[in-house]
Amino acid sequence: MASIEQLVDRLAQDAAPVKPAPHPLTLSLGWAAAAAVYLVLSLWISGLRPDLAQKLHEPWFLAELGVLVLIFLATSLSAAVLAFPDLHQMKKTAWAPAGLFAVFIAILFFAWRADVPPAPLPVHSFECTASITLFALLPAVWTFLSMRRFASTHYRWAGSVALLSAFSVGALWLLLHEVNDSVIHVIEWHYLPMLGIGLAGWWLGKKWLKW
Amino acid sequence: MADKTENLEALMKLSLNGDKRAYALLLQETARFLRPFLARRLNVESEVDDLLQEILISVHKARHTFDGNRPYRPWAFAIAKFRLQDHLRAHYADHLRHAVELSEVENDLQENVTKSGMSYESISGEVEKLPPKQAAILQMMHQEGYTAREVAEKTGMKESAVKVAAHRAYKILRKVLER
Repeated sequence: MASIEQLVDRLAQDAAPVKPAPHPLTLSLGWAAAAAVYLVLSLWISGLRPDLAQKLHEPWFLAELGVLVLIFLATSLSAAVLAFPDLHQMKKTAWAPAGLFAVFIAILFFAWRADVPPAPLPVHSFECTASITLFALLPAVWTFLSMRRFASTHYRWAGSVALLSAFSVGALWLLLHEVNDSVIHVIEWHYLPMLGIGLAGWWLGKKWLKW
Repeated sequence: MADKTENLEALMKLSLNGDKRAYALLLQETARFLRPFLARRLNVESEVDDLLQEILISVHKARHTFDGNRPYRPWAFAIAKFRLQDHLRAHYADHLRHAVELSEVENDLQENVTKSGMSYESISGEVEKLPPKQAAILQMMHQEGYTAREVAEKTGMKESAVKVAAHRAYKILRKVLER
């Protein structure tokens, strides 16, 4: 290899003007806006659940919806922060989804305790996981493509958070679309698969975000 | 020097605008403060140089992720640590690939290692017939008294590679001498 001085000279000669990357907040707001448009369009095509107005008066449904939206926003911001080598010196922000996931688990636990007598299970099962995953494909692809333009030094973590962000958009869509009151079903087929999605993102992050 | 370090962020801002001189200064200063960090973690000077060059190339590739509005050093160190981890991961994976199975060497271990009826001089003729690299390694280890690590440093090889080459040479010698 050439000496350090030669390398520095060569790199300096290549130093064309470069546009700095946007702030992670701007970046995540862009992703969130795109996801919001995608969600609204999808709901417009697939339709809102007919009992939505009534469900919005139920505290546990409202809490589930609210925290899921916050999870989506926090994972988007976290993924944006993780796309920078130094996490944009906002390490705590990268961890923000962890607290929200803890709150979400607590909400699901209380919703399950309040579900007395338990609502009947719907006849379908894995179809929900499959629908959410398919719905999440597009946001996942655009988030990954966008993150590849940066330089993540935490590529596994970044991949995991990016996929969770996309999956939470899918979970939001199904929550607003599907007529279903069974908390057990929702935990089993809507949210538990998030663990697998997180692991898949860990693997995909290494494949796609390593530079 | 203090002025230089205080102005790293300003140098990067100028570099992002295409100022080649500012960029060269920034890279030189980056190499200066990263070298001791790497030297503390790597034993061989040539590895420090190679890794430092990889890091500077990474800094160049990722320079668009720095906007000049936050401290430069944590950003550069994050890239350096990332590349160092990559390097160490590859280094240890290489060690594993070249590791010799215990079953391969256990026959050698059973022999009397404190007393040998055979001197290096008595088999030097056979040693010279070995491939040049293996012969040189055996000569350095058994005639000149260097350890495997010292041989590695002298020849620019990895210590594990020296041990493997020596082990292969022993195998060849054993076959020849048993005839």
